[in-house]
Amino acid sequence: MLRKKTFKLNYGYVFIAPFVIGFLLFGLYPVYNTLALSFTNTTMLTRKDDFVGLDNFIRLFSDKTFLTAVTNTWELWLMNFIPQLGIAMLLAVWFTNVRLKIKGVGIWRLLFFMPNLLMPAAIAALYFSLFSYYGPVNQLMVRGGVYSEAIDFIRNKEVMRGLVVFIQWWMWFGWTAIILMAAMSSISLSLYEAAVIDGARDFQVFRYVTMPLIKPVMIYILVTSLVGGMQMFDIPYLLTDGRGSPANSILTNTIMMYMRFRSNEGHIGASSAIGVMIFIMTSIVALLIFFLLRDKEPKAVKEKEI
Amino acid sequence: MNPKLKLNLQRALIYVFLVILLIITLVPIWMLMVNATRSTAQIQQGVGFWPSVYTASNYQILLDKGLDLPRGFFNSFIIAIATTAVTVYFSFLTAYGLVVYEFKGKKQLYNFILILVMIPMQLSIIGFYHYMSKLGLTDNYLSLILPSIAAAGAVYFAKSYLESVIIQDLIDAGRVDGASELGIFHNIMFPIAAPGAFTLGIFSFVGAWNNFFNAYILITTRDKYTLPMLVQTLRGDVYRHEYGAIYLGLAASVVPIIIIYFLFSRFIVSGISMGAVKE
Repeated sequence: MLRKKTFKLNYGYVFIAPFVIGFLLFGLYPVYNTLALSFTNTTMLTRKDDFVGLDNFIRLFSDKTFLTAVTNTWELWLMNFIPQLGIAMLLAVWFTNVRLKIKGVGIWRLLFFMPNLLMPAAIAALYFSLFSYYGPVNQLMVRGGVYSEAIDFIRNKEVMRGLVVFIQWWMWFGWTAIILMAAMSSISLSLYEAAVIDGARDFQVFRYVTMPLIKPVMIYILVTSLVGGMQMFDIPYLLTDGRGSPANSILTNTIMMYMRFRSNEGHIGASSAIGVMIFIMTSIVALLIFFLLRDKEPKAVKEKEI
Repeated sequence: MNPKLKLNLQRALIYVFLVILLIITLVPIWMLMVNATRSTAQIQQGVGFWPSVYTASNYQILLDKGLDLPRGFFNSFIIAIATTAVTVYFSFLTAYGLVVYEFKGKKQLYNFILILVMIPMQLSIIGFYHYMSKLGLTDNYLSLILPSIAAAGAVYFAKSYLESVIIQDLIDAGRVDGASELGIFHNIMFPIAAPGAFTLGIFSFVGAWNNFFNAYILITTRDKYTLPMLVQTLRGDVYRHEYGAIYLGLAASVVPIIIIYFLFSRFIVSGISMGAVKE
């Protein structure tokens, strides 16, 4: 028999080929293109696309609006993340506690999670209607005698910021609770029993048994929420006029990026620069969280073993 | 205090807290549903918590004002279904390649995919738009659907799932029977992975249905607007004071998802925890 030296095809490559090609075309090239555009003064109307070096970035850093957008994004994220984690932690501890035996855990969890799946665009428009001048909130308050005249919530900076924070919290605490619950129920019961036999109280069990064991999941929640929070767009965009009104109080990074993109001339060079900045900022903080929290873990475990 | 009594008191307080939290969670959604059935006059007269009978007339107002709700529904549905099919098929294909075969660069590719999950879309969307407009693909649904071929998060999910269900013996048996490698994936492994594929499918569908930003950047023709884009137009002056109609438009865009949620909540809840809690 004639033995031909055949090329043996590794099917692994066949299976991953579509992903790799798709990634090169729709993932990598657009990222490269955004980076490249951020160094140009490209607009959509004019045909110019000259290389302008770091001009876009320099202009961004001297633009007070950008500083406002960055600060807003961070504040809006942090203010919703802390109560979100707090409430979710309470729910997860209660729902998984064997002594409390809360009834209907599945149903509570089901209902608390529901807002997360609803269309953010519709939710923002809904809250806009609920808090509008003639909306239900004002109607209830005035008729109930809480205050005598309707309040123009939509033009109130603090109320609008509070509302963005509330909506984000409302949409996400159920998600966080489900993940924490899953993490807590994967902890072996014998660990809890041992702690209880040693005379640990509820809080001590939580602090010294639960917390260290769910740490990887906490990092996951923190990083995921951060990446999502830095992209916040739909809710603040649709809650007011799409420019972060009143007085830029809910202007976020992405809204600003969109405004550059849809400005009269369509400054896609300047818009790309904002996209690049969002990425750099998010990655630095995400990596920082990851390394700061991860490195401590083995040490803490060792200390306790001794 | 008596420990039994103390436990019961603790329990009672927790239930009170849970009920309050539940009211906060559900009241906005309930108001949305109810107001979609009430007339603008009723809504202006006062807050009501029971449904009324004006759904059809609210709908008529929307149509009269030129909001083509069925069209938006259809557009969103087509995009969501196509995105789901592409995401599920290609991410399981990629994950299968990563789980079953050994090849050079496999580990690097997987680590790379993990990093990709973290990249925000802001880094690519403007470059993507610019590139699509050069290819003449803006205002075309393909630009919304095709990127799902390389959905990093979905590959991560599919890989976690496949690792727990793949049986090497079945693959070997398939090879002995002379099945091709792709044939084994399509006819033997994919059916076994169906529950995982279904879970991933629900998430892709909901994600695509709710996605506002990408469509808002890429789609410009009014006839091609997706539901979230139509919802965005409801804020305009045309609908001023047509509260009933506005609520109906909003309700229509969230009701399908609520139905899907109640039908398949089991898959959704387990799917969320699966991404996060890995042994």
